[in-house]
Amino acid sequence: MQIDILAQPANTITKITFAQNEEITAEGGSMVAMSGGLDVQTTTHKRGKRGIGRAVKRAFAGENIFLNHYKAERDGAHLYIAPNLSGDIMTHELQGGSLIVQATSFLAHEASVDMDVSWQGFKNMLSSEGLFWLKMSGTGKVLINSFGAIYPVAVDGEYIVDTGHIVAFDEGLNFSLSKAGKSWMSSILGGEGIVCRFKGKGTVWCQSHSPSGFGNALGRLLDPIVEHQQ
Amino acid sequence: MKHVVHGAPSFAHIEITLNAGDTLIAESGAMASMDASLDQKAKMNGGFFGALIRKFFGRESFFISHFTNMSGRDAKIIITQKAPGDIRAIKLTGGGFYIQPGAFVACETGVKLDVKWAGFSSWVAGEGLLRNYVHGHGAVFIGGYGAIYDKEIDGEYIIDSSHIIGYSRDIKLNVGMSGGIFSSFLSGEGLVARVEGKGKVFLQSRSVRNLANFINPRL
Repeated sequence: MQIDILAQPANTITKITFAQNEEITAEGGSMVAMSGGLDVQTTTHKRGKRGIGRAVKRAFAGENIFLNHYKAERDGAHLYIAPNLSGDIMTHELQGGSLIVQATSFLAHEASVDMDVSWQGFKNMLSSEGLFWLKMSGTGKVLINSFGAIYPVAVDGEYIVDTGHIVAFDEGLNFSLSKAGKSWMSSILGGEGIVCRFKGKGTVWCQSHSPSGFGNALGRLLDPIVEHQQ
Repeated sequence: MKHVVHGAPSFAHIEITLNAGDTLIAESGAMASMDASLDQKAKMNGGFFGALIRKFFGRESFFISHFTNMSGRDAKIIITQKAPGDIRAIKLTGGGFYIQPGAFVACETGVKLDVKWAGFSSWVAGEGLLRNYVHGHGAVFIGGYGAIYDKEIDGEYIIDSSHIIGYSRDIKLNVGMSGGIFSSFLSGEGLVARVEGKGKVFLQSRSVRNLANFINPRL
């Protein structure tokens, strides 16, 4: 399988070229174009596994509950996939470890990778971003997208990331929801609200822009939707 | 304090290194990530009345964040803006700069944030009665949606008011029509800003307000 990431960083799109029988699973709605010779199945779960429970969990995670599985019937079949927002795409190669991906940053994974909703506890509910996490494990490539640029931070000790700016992190890192400074009052009044405090050793990938930040800046200029009475 | 702008022009974000004891002042919500050794404090944007005036007339946030390095070592913070676009640093050495609502990203502590009377013509143009004025010594970071152009002005120049993000103190800004009353509205330019004087004007290549105006009829 060959993965080419094109038109970085603003209008990034991924071209995946398959060898026969290779498979990839992509987020529903991400397909832009594809050649013939690809068998597509839409399911709510990983191919060959029971997964309605996982689909329900993904629906709670604010994700599209449908996943598209693409399997090449011949060499050279190809597929273009892209996310909704302007921004970058990166590949991450798993070699037996796990990567936690913020749900809206997930784009696709190879068939050898296993995806599950990572329930990081009740603390998720407190965040205004509606943070949910997908746990990727196994071996193979994962494709991740961002709003804006992606920058990796090598954490050794403690590091703070605003909840709207997290893309993914190594499973070895512990995180807790926290305040940006010494005082909760300052964190909330200063507009930072709840932030993620990562502890341990590993990499966290951040996005330069926050979808909800831009959404709110644009949203307050939009006309309120008027419900028409029947 | 040192800074490097990454990701320009589409996704500019600033990596700022704070030396021991340094403080950075940043717009509410502008922190993307930072070393855990930094402390954040919310401060009223220029005292209670200043903050109130800025909130209601300058359309800025009531609180701003102060990030202070209390540890003995250098610490880093990544600062960004809400819209995807470029960020520029303006180095103030005693001079002053007017900044349009929403364009302020961050500044050093030697910079003072104030509001000044903008006049009724500004209010008519939807730009508010007051305008934000930064002055003093140090770096100010301003952000724009899209690319940022800086233009040296000597004399008169005409700019669509939604594309101005900042201009130097010695420039006078008047809001008016680009041509006669008919040509102004028929051409879709509506109200424009006439700037006059000698100094620098910063422009953004896109405008969030114009994006909203594009989306609104389609909702």
